[in-house]
Amino acid sequence: MELKLLIPLRNLSRNRRRTLLSLAIIALGTAMIYAVRGYVDESLLNYRASTVQQFGNLQIASPLLWAEKTENFQYLIAPEKVAQIVKILQETPEVTAYTVQLTLSGLAITERKTKVVSATALEPQNQALDYNDLVVEGSGLNPNDRAKALIGRTLAEELQLKPGDFFTMTTTTVDGAYNVGPLQVAGIYTLNNAIAEGQLIFLPLSYGQVLLDTAGVAKVIVTINNIDDTERVATLVQRKLAEAGLDFEVRTWEQLAEFYRQIKSFFDILFGFLTIAVSVLVFFIVLQVLTLSFLERTREVGTIRAIGTKRYQVFLMFFMESVFLGALGSLIGIIGGWIVGQGFNTLGIGWTPPGALEPIPVRVRLELLNAIAPFIISTVATVLSALYPALHSARLNVVEALASK
Amino acid sequence: MILETRNLTKIYRVGKEEIPALRGVNFTLEAGDFVVINGPSGSGKTTFLNLIACIDKPTSGEVYIDGQPTSQLSEGQLAELRKRKIGLVFQTFNLIPVLSAYENVEYPLILLGVSRKERYQRTMALLEEVGLKDLANRRPDELSGGQRQRVAIARALVTNPKLVLADEPTANLDSETGKQVMSIMRRLNEEHHVAFLVVTHDPMVTQYAQRTVKIRDGQLFDGGRTNGA
Repeated sequence: MELKLLIPLRNLSRNRRRTLLSLAIIALGTAMIYAVRGYVDESLLNYRASTVQQFGNLQIASPLLWAEKTENFQYLIAPEKVAQIVKILQETPEVTAYTVQLTLSGLAITERKTKVVSATALEPQNQALDYNDLVVEGSGLNPNDRAKALIGRTLAEELQLKPGDFFTMTTTTVDGAYNVGPLQVAGIYTLNNAIAEGQLIFLPLSYGQVLLDTAGVAKVIVTINNIDDTERVATLVQRKLAEAGLDFEVRTWEQLAEFYRQIKSFFDILFGFLTIAVSVLVFFIVLQVLTLSFLERTREVGTIRAIGTKRYQVFLMFFMESVFLGALGSLIGIIGGWIVGQGFNTLGIGWTPPGALEPIPVRVRLELLNAIAPFIISTVATVLSALYPALHSARLNVVEALASK
Repeated sequence: MILETRNLTKIYRVGKEEIPALRGVNFTLEAGDFVVINGPSGSGKTTFLNLIACIDKPTSGEVYIDGQPTSQLSEGQLAELRKRKIGLVFQTFNLIPVLSAYENVEYPLILLGVSRKERYQRTMALLEEVGLKDLANRRPDELSGGQRQRVAIARALVTNPKLVLADEPTANLDSETGKQVMSIMRRLNEEHHVAFLVVTHDPMVTQYAQRTVKIRDGQLFDGGRTNGA
């Protein structure tokens, strides 16, 4: 091995305690960034999956609905318009399924209590969006069900309802008339969200249309074959709707999911702050360690310069030493972060976020791709911390360097 | 002529005070010479050696190495000149502690871009000449003072320089080891026909000189030519 590589490598073993300290700091920083990145990615993927499960990939509705101008129910989509939209969706190969929904609000009433609720009326067991898999007690909704409902766990507790029990739902029809309908609890679902579970009920579309006294629907829900293709397909469908003269607006799941956007933004800021803080910490601690280490070799630098080593070669030696140190520390950090992440994934350690009813297991996404950024960040922080002492060493006066103790 | 200095002057400035370390030194050295410059501490020995080694700049005057004036050369050109034409032996040996004896001697050849095979041949030959072939893999801290200085001598000679400069090469050695080191240097001087310039305050070293030059208050006083030890 050439000495320009051998000397930096050997110098790493010169003061083992100091090298170990540097490695530990770099490794700790790298492990933190890697593990937190893995946790953030896993959480966002879960949020994304649950958001798509809740909203579908795309939703098509009147601009009035998106603008929340819902007072006169003018946003409702008439059956013939639904048929036109469906035709467009059928001609779009990326679309895997679609369904329609109607939303209504009113009161859920039992003999003992009354509660304000929101209802989503849907096509039971449709291919696009089916909430039956959220059911934890009783059964889901079937296509033949009429006056049945899925209610949240919190609402079930508040109204003291269980599967098979009846309650009454009151609402206002599209003409402003008061309407009442009996509903039987088919099943109880959970979203692990106390607020949603306390307000939201699901019922068959046909019954929702009866309660509102309309044949229309509020929106068309669409799922596509690739979530990463959402934006492109949204634009495509929007163009087709415009070409067909349909004044409807396509929204993507990400546009609809404000909570997801907030969470993502929060995670991005948190991760960015953590990355900067860890990098700065690694930079300054390693700078201190390397400065001391390089200073101790002043006479050695004088010697190699005196026997003909050029300044840039001295700089390269110290630079390569920091590259090896950074790369080795980062590699150890990646392995350490992987072990920590694997530990969390295996042990299933969980925490209960605000608003959640049950602990969510902390899961860390341990992808090799996620290791690249922390590896580069920590190595670059180490190399940057070595720049000044390396430049200083390379520019030493040879006579003064030889005279140093 | 391997080395020539003309009117070489070095003045150190400490605040407003000027301290002359060398006062217009004229000196010459021929190929194969073995010259000892002898003088007490503070006489200007090391300053003179640093200027000849091209690691320091004179206040005025000129140093010619192998006929080439050095005052106008850049840092890089001076490093190139030191690498090809000058070998250095230090009082404290100055070996690279993380490298073995072999690697320390090999180092200047790597700077010269010599092939691996030739490096091996030349390094082993030099280590054999200084009697350290069997200790080639030892690191400096596993060698005695005398052995370290022999490694340093091998390192100084491995590039086949025109001139070897030694600064107090026996100062950190006991007298017996010092004599052995000087004998080796003298032998290599004759075998390689390379000029040696040794600065020392040790009178023993002068026994090995062909020519001894006294230095006092930054001025040289040539003591004439002898046969050496």
